[in-house]
Amino acid sequence: MSDTSNELISWNLNGEVVQNESGMTIMEAAKAHGIEIPCFCYHPGLSIAGNCRICMVESNRSPKPIISCSERIAEGLEIQTDSEKAVDARDSVMEFQLINHPLDCPVCDKAGECVLQDHSYEHGPDRSRFVEDKNIRHTKELGPTIDIWGNRCIVCTRCVRFCDEISGTSELCVVERGDRSVVDVFPGIPIDNAMAGNTVDICPVGALISTDFKYEARVWNMDRTTSVCGGCSRGCNVEVEALDGFVKRLMPRENLDVNDWWMCDHGRYGWRHLYADSRQVTAQTTEGSVLPAEASKALQQTLESSSSTGFLVDPFMTCEELHLVKQLADSMTGSRVAGWLPADGTEESFPGGFTISAAKYPNRKGVEEIFGADVFGSAASTLLNDIASGSVDTVVAFVGGHGFDGAGAEWNAALSSAKNRVVFTTQQGAWSEGAHLVLPATAPLEKEGVWINEDNRAQRVRSCRSLTDQNFPSELVILQEVQAHMELRSRSLSAAGVFRELSESSSAFEGHSHSSLGDHGTPLSQKPAAVGSEGGES
Amino acid sequence: MSFRKIFTQHIHEEKCHSLSFYQKNGGYEQARKSLHDWQPDDLIETVKAANLRGRGGAGFPTGVKWGFVPKNTDKPKYLAVNADESEPGTFKDRLIMEKNPHLLLEGIIICCKAVGIHHAYIYIRGEFVFAANRLQNAIDRAYSEGILGENCLGSDFTLDVTLHRGAGAYICGEETGMLSSLEGDRGQPKLKPPFPAVEGLFGCPTVVNNVETLANLPYILEIGAEAYGKIGPEKSPGPKLFCVSGHVEKPGVFELPMGISLRTLIDEHAGGVWKGRKLKAVIPGGSSAHVLRADECDVDMDIESLAAAGTMLGSAGVIVMDETTCMVDALLNIMRFYHHESCGQCTPCREGTGWLEKIAHRIAIGEGRMEDMDLVTEVCDRMVGKTICALADAAAFPAESIVNKFREDFVAAIENGGSPAWIKRHPASTGGAATHV
Ligand SMILES: Cc1cc2nc3c(=O)[nH]c(=O)nc-3n(C[C@H](O)[C@H](O)[C@H](O)COP(=O)(O)O)c2cc1C
Ligand code: SF4
Ligand code: SF4
Ligand code: SF4
Ligand code: FES
Repeated sequence: MSDTSNELISWNLNGEVVQNESGMTIMEAAKAHGIEIPCFCYHPGLSIAGNCRICMVESNRSPKPIISCSERIAEGLEIQTDSEKAVDARDSVMEFQLINHPLDCPVCDKAGECVLQDHSYEHGPDRSRFVEDKNIRHTKELGPTIDIWGNRCIVCTRCVRFCDEISGTSELCVVERGDRSVVDVFPGIPIDNAMAGNTVDICPVGALISTDFKYEARVWNMDRTTSVCGGCSRGCNVEVEALDGFVKRLMPRENLDVNDWWMCDHGRYGWRHLYADSRQVTAQTTEGSVLPAEASKALQQTLESSSSTGFLVDPFMTCEELHLVKQLADSMTGSRVAGWLPADGTEESFPGGFTISAAKYPNRKGVEEIFGADVFGSAASTLLNDIASGSVDTVVAFVGGHGFDGAGAEWNAALSSAKNRVVFTTQQGAWSEGAHLVLPATAPLEKEGVWINEDNRAQRVRSCRSLTDQNFPSELVILQEVQAHMELRSRSLSAAGVFRELSESSSAFEGHSHSSLGDHGTPLSQKPAAVGSEGGES
Repeated sequence: MSFRKIFTQHIHEEKCHSLSFYQKNGGYEQARKSLHDWQPDDLIETVKAANLRGRGGAGFPTGVKWGFVPKNTDKPKYLAVNADESEPGTFKDRLIMEKNPHLLLEGIIICCKAVGIHHAYIYIRGEFVFAANRLQNAIDRAYSEGILGENCLGSDFTLDVTLHRGAGAYICGEETGMLSSLEGDRGQPKLKPPFPAVEGLFGCPTVVNNVETLANLPYILEIGAEAYGKIGPEKSPGPKLFCVSGHVEKPGVFELPMGISLRTLIDEHAGGVWKGRKLKAVIPGGSSAHVLRADECDVDMDIESLAAAGTMLGSAGVIVMDETTCMVDALLNIMRFYHHESCGQCTPCREGTGWLEKIAHRIAIGEGRMEDMDLVTEVCDRMVGKTICALADAAAFPAESIVNKFREDFVAAIENGGSPAWIKRHPASTGGAATHV
């Protein structure tokens, strides 16, 4: 985006005098007045290439049409976006874009979210004057996750600029010239970087194809959930896209305070564990399986028969789940709470400013906010000691995330040595074998609630599970039911309702609500202006 | 004052390219004076007053261009000498570099002194191996004789000159394409603004001038702006190299005053249309200009006169076609070039050049339709003025004018099943075979 200063410029847009901050491009400024000028090569996160020419408009300063993505507003400038000249320029580009385009939308994964389709619908000719043979360009693998369908490439260079400017890996380039131009990699150097998937998102057409998503779904058939990635403490804003209740794809969602327009490939492709064969889907006791409707009763009985209980929480839990655990623990004498953390991975930083956090979990800050800063430290060593010495007789452990390693070697061993064990787990494993009670846990993308990222930003996560897919109640439901059985609660609330309880009981969360957090989150320290009582109780 | 040749007066002498020969004839005297006696601003004013117009194609006033370079900047400034010469029908810079390389170097010194430049790059067309060797030898000699390097010609001025060979792309002759290529990137034109004078090579202020433009400078200093301005027409004066190729008896490079008549150039200097045939068409400014029909050839060869005739002086590459030429084949030939050379970044040029070639090819092999003539015109309209550089215009100008000025050739090819050359080679064909002409 261009640098703007506060000085106001008066210019003329389609016959009306308007004002914008100096330094804005014509395209940005027009948008501020509700006039959307089409673009292909422009992307707000990349440098200006000015090559597609679709954004041409008529100017009083130039006999030729000018490109609005690059030229800036100026005092006295007069721009027409829909004059005969501007329309002709746009129509020209559309005709040229389409002559060699294969128009294979019926088999193209981009169909339905393709910029060329959209612009063609709005600005393109309804038939072609091109009677020649179309050009053929290569279709090939560019890397482990990306193929190119060269015939569809409109040579906008967005992907090339992304690899040069954002990931800094420069694997992609345009080879050949003229209408033979097409994107390629250098021999023997595939595109293989931790941000590569973004190139597919920003490709305006179906030239770059994700091999993971290829032929998986027509995009218009998918349900979308506005959520947050749980892959690390960055908390990239995402859109989770599912077909018939099954996740098919994750897409980054613009948030200039968190992830700009991007997300990393670990997060993007890190959802297969949702459908792993080892997924824990039923509740079990040592005697056999427990019906979903009876799970909370089983948990309540275990808790009530325990004289001292240790709760072991994890940094994948939402603030709401954590709050419910806290309420339970507070009501039970002799109980204590500790937390476990997965081992750190490596931090990866990119020249475009994007960083993948070394902390591979989304809500450490939330756990610390609710249970205190020593929850992963001294509280954890105390609980380990108490288990070893037998001074707690029941441990209720939450084992979230992808869950293939349980709660880590140390805690897994400690758990199996506990007298009684209740394990909420996403995957089956040694840590839950022989447990007194095993309950299916929700994985990150299946939760409703709030996470706090490493920058102390509270963000809402929403479940990608469809209503019909809720074959087992979530922790949010079960914990409230247990509280109800124990007469701690009169009725169950939605995540928003639980969050309101939390914000009323904790000064850190005070003032925030699900609706005030919005789709882009808010720093926890930045209290919203009072907006009356919202919260959506159920 | 009678016309004196400045580029070619000695080219038939054996050692004309050597330093000693050059200096014996007064070479480097003007460079010496510019370094020792001239103030930079006075040099710029003199070149402005002389009305020297760029010889690379666009005809921009050279002194004015130099004036755009910011005076107070912490950045280094560069001169990028455009020696890419790849416009079809153009071979004049090559002659200077092969026969008179020190003239170019002297011009470079004068320009650099005027603008305060201490490093000049010469970007030479890759295929010019002989010229590159000649020029490199001249540069090496100039260094060893204290003409280049530190303390040029005994002054306190430092100037380095680097020769860089291109890899054979027409688009690297476009000034910003050349800069991209010099920077080590894909040879693709850049968005303007910023213009090179403000932000050019490596992001620094850069003067881009053609070889022939710079080679004019010693002479301007020698005879003064006023006398120079009297050679040829007032608005675009000076000695000029004209390249004549095609169907003439004596093709070659001719040094004549700007404004010579096209007929005189062809008939007197180039020996007239060959084989006693009649003239059919001339493209006067390299293939990128509008074509002239024979009856439009009573025109003077200078920037204004050719513009008034609806075409341009361009690179002064005069391409002559005789009465036997089929303009469908001419169109195909020219469009094949632009299609091959378009860098491909702008949509209208990338797609339009290929489309034009395909249409021309179809007509040439007998698959043309009457509506194709209007289609060519409309495709050209859709390309002109809508791209990053002028290559799209350069393709559209000849295409549009060939089709509209020689419609009879197109109608004949469409009706008869292809161009005469095609029919001759495929006598049984009624058109339709998908082979190239
Ligand atoms: C497609 C294209 C090719 C060009 N090729 C050349 C060239 O080979 N040599 C040249 O001097 N100028 C060429 N030019 C013109 C240059 O862009 C530029 O105007 C010129 O080098 C400036 O020098 P001058 O002012 O001394 O003429 C070309 C322009 C275009 C659009
Ligand atoms: S592959 Fe896509 S993003 Fe890359 S240049 Fe082609 S159209 Fe643009
Ligand atoms: S950086 Fe972290 S939060 Fe963002 S997509 Fe990657 S794993 Fe997910
Ligand atoms: S006009 Fe043609 S050659 Fe010039 S920049 Fe655009 S695509 Fe490249
Ligand atoms: S969006 Fe402006 S040129 Fe592509």
